[in-house]
Amino acid sequence: MEEKFISQVKLQELCNELIDNNFDIFIPKEYGYQKLVKGENVTLDNSLKPTKSSFKDIIFPKAEPIIYYKKNKSDIEIIDPQINKKTNIILGAKPCDAKSVAIMSKVFNWDYKDEFFNIRAENTLIFGILCNFNDEFCFCTSVGLSPKSTEGSDLFLVPLNDGYGVRIISPKGEDFYQKYNSYFTTVDNKLIEEIESNVKEPDIVFDSEKVRNWIKENFEDSYWNTLGEYCLGCGQCAFVCPVCHCFDIVDEDYCYTEGRRMKNWDACQFEIFTLHASGHNPRDDQSKRYRQRISHKFKYYPEKFNEILCTGCGRCSRGCPVSIDIKKIVTEIGSFSEV
Amino acid sequence: MEMNKDNFEPKIVAFVCNWCTYTGADLAGTSRMKYKPNVRMIKLPCTGRIDPLFILKAFERGADGVLVSGCHPGDCHYNAGNFHARRRWIMFRKLLDFLGIDDSRIHFSWVSASEGKKFVDVVNGFTDKVKTRGPFTRFKKLNEEFIING
Amino acid sequence: MDSSLRQIANELLNTGKVNAIIGYIPVDGTTRTKPFIATKTDEVDKFVVNHNILNNLSVYLTKDEVKKNFKKIGIIAKGCDIKSIIALIQENQILRDDIVIIGVKCSGVYSDFDLQTLADKCISCEVREPHLFDYLVEMGDSSELRGEDRKLKVIRQIEAMNAEERWDFFENEFSRCIKCYACRQVCPLCYCERCIVDKTIPRWIESSAHKRGNFAWNLVRAFHLSGRCVGCGECERVCPMDIPLSLLNRKMMMVTQEEFNYKSGMDINVPTLIGSYDLKDNEEFIE
Repeated sequence: MEEKFISQVKLQELCNELIDNNFDIFIPKEYGYQKLVKGENVTLDNSLKPTKSSFKDIIFPKAEPIIYYKKNKSDIEIIDPQINKKTNIILGAKPCDAKSVAIMSKVFNWDYKDEFFNIRAENTLIFGILCNFNDEFCFCTSVGLSPKSTEGSDLFLVPLNDGYGVRIISPKGEDFYQKYNSYFTTVDNKLIEEIESNVKEPDIVFDSEKVRNWIKENFEDSYWNTLGEYCLGCGQCAFVCPVCHCFDIVDEDYCYTEGRRMKNWDACQFEIFTLHASGHNPRDDQSKRYRQRISHKFKYYPEKFNEILCTGCGRCSRGCPVSIDIKKIVTEIGSFSEV
Repeated sequence: MEMNKDNFEPKIVAFVCNWCTYTGADLAGTSRMKYKPNVRMIKLPCTGRIDPLFILKAFERGADGVLVSGCHPGDCHYNAGNFHARRRWIMFRKLLDFLGIDDSRIHFSWVSASEGKKFVDVVNGFTDKVKTRGPFTRFKKLNEEFIING
Repeated sequence: MDSSLRQIANELLNTGKVNAIIGYIPVDGTTRTKPFIATKTDEVDKFVVNHNILNNLSVYLTKDEVKKNFKKIGIIAKGCDIKSIIALIQENQILRDDIVIIGVKCSGVYSDFDLQTLADKCISCEVREPHLFDYLVEMGDSSELRGEDRKLKVIRQIEAMNAEERWDFFENEFSRCIKCYACRQVCPLCYCERCIVDKTIPRWIESSAHKRGNFAWNLVRAFHLSGRCVGCGECERVCPMDIPLSLLNRKMMMVTQEEFNYKSGMDINVPTLIGSYDLKDNEEFIE
């Protein structure tokens, strides 16, 4: 049986054509996903650890205007922003990143269809890639993913000698392939399957069902107090996470008569996240805030949308200033129910 | 009207202390001394009240130059306000300089209540300096991210 | 682990001289270390002192929960951490008598757990032998790490640029900022109950992560630390977007040295720089 294939050289040429056609291509590089300027710079090394931050900024920008206002002599004019409908291509997203759009899409299409998110997600094409990295912070298999999972990808790349096997996963991927099929050839599917079956999967370290039940029954448990002890309340974990999506709305003025309303990233770990105008703060210490983080990811979100709000990428733990490890915490919670 | 180097009129914001420089500027006015109209004065009780944030905000909102002026050392109405301010300014101007906002954009002076002439000289001199330097486009460009597109 | 550390820690807890000791313990399965607060003598065995003790633990001395729960605290601190403890004492945030400092004779720490090269701050360090302490312990592995002062080279390069180039350089660096405030939360000297960026009426510094908000935040933070920053390098270590924050802070440390011959965090009896003044301060730049 044959599957699609693209050589490294052809991939570089394809990227050059896409850039010329005004597409934005993002590849994982250094601290995050950066825009590709020349096709020749495309190197997709799937044995590198995940970038410090995810590509969330492309679908859900860190700061985005949602309305503009202009004060005229007699009234106030409200102007809607024009969302850039340019096609974005994410090239080389590990499965833990590729699924993030599908997971976040559930809440952004729940009781209200968030146009800002949907338009951007619609115009983004994700090339997933088979992952060849594993360290003590990864746990994708424990949350239902794996290094070879194609969930969330539109096309999926499997590195072979001098090129990549390409699986088409979604209709969007199929459309793309049809448009650019001159760059692709074919390869024996067995070669791809061999790579896929040899991929090293991280061990499953907790049962998410058990975790969810323990969280449900033990809201007041003293275990939560131990978690907030060292956390400094910086927003690093929420901001590098591919699926954390809380936001803050602020009004800013450009001058006396013009301004905008901004939607910015926010994190439940900030002290002022739940601060009320009255001065009361229901989550007034770090333990309560950390409890919220774990509960939202592993209980509230799964109960509502049947998806765990975590892809097991481990970025939060790798980047945490005080080495708080979410994998260890959730594993510990999972073990409580065994007793 | 197109703003080019020839007819560019800089916007200068001046943070001045009430007891000395503001009174000095008043004196310039009552003595009918003419000085360039580009300066917008903001009166504060003392230079010690000037938070460097004000200077940053002035640039953010379109100032091409910022002037800061107060009582001579030893003459502060509140005894030591200007001494504290002076120390702050030493640090702040070095920081601004490192970031790319140099001496031609920010100016400090001591102007007493009787120095109307000096005030005129300071304002005229600084306005000319900023005029030759040109508009502070780089800071203004920061404002232009997310400008109304409607 | 050094047996003398165990002895010291046990004695402190047993005699009630301290209610808790803050130190570093290893993270299982990695070479990393993380902060740990020991309140019982059997917990003391976990402490380690090696090239991986990157954190500046003095940030916990300003945390409400720690101050509330423990009256007297022992802290294991390298020279750079002791500088920030001294800076906190200078600013009356903690009392000298409430702290017991277990100083570490440091031979350098790594810049990052994953990089294992000498941290930039260690290259020009003058406090490898701590200057203020109650007890002294050796680092487990005393191999002297060496390195090149890359940061100083970059500062010199920036100083050689003209104003426009400098602005472009920093605008580019700050545009990556995501306003996560990790730099602020990990800094021991950022202890304000309410930070200026959280003040909404009026809004001095925009919290949005756009260019204007980022420039304002980073500039103001650098200024609020001028004359106070001790150069522990934590802000740059924790920044998820790899912004070279230490360039600004280090430059300001050089300025305070040149202009005032002052180094933050060296002497608890000296008044703070910005909080005091000298009649003979330089005023050549003032017309």
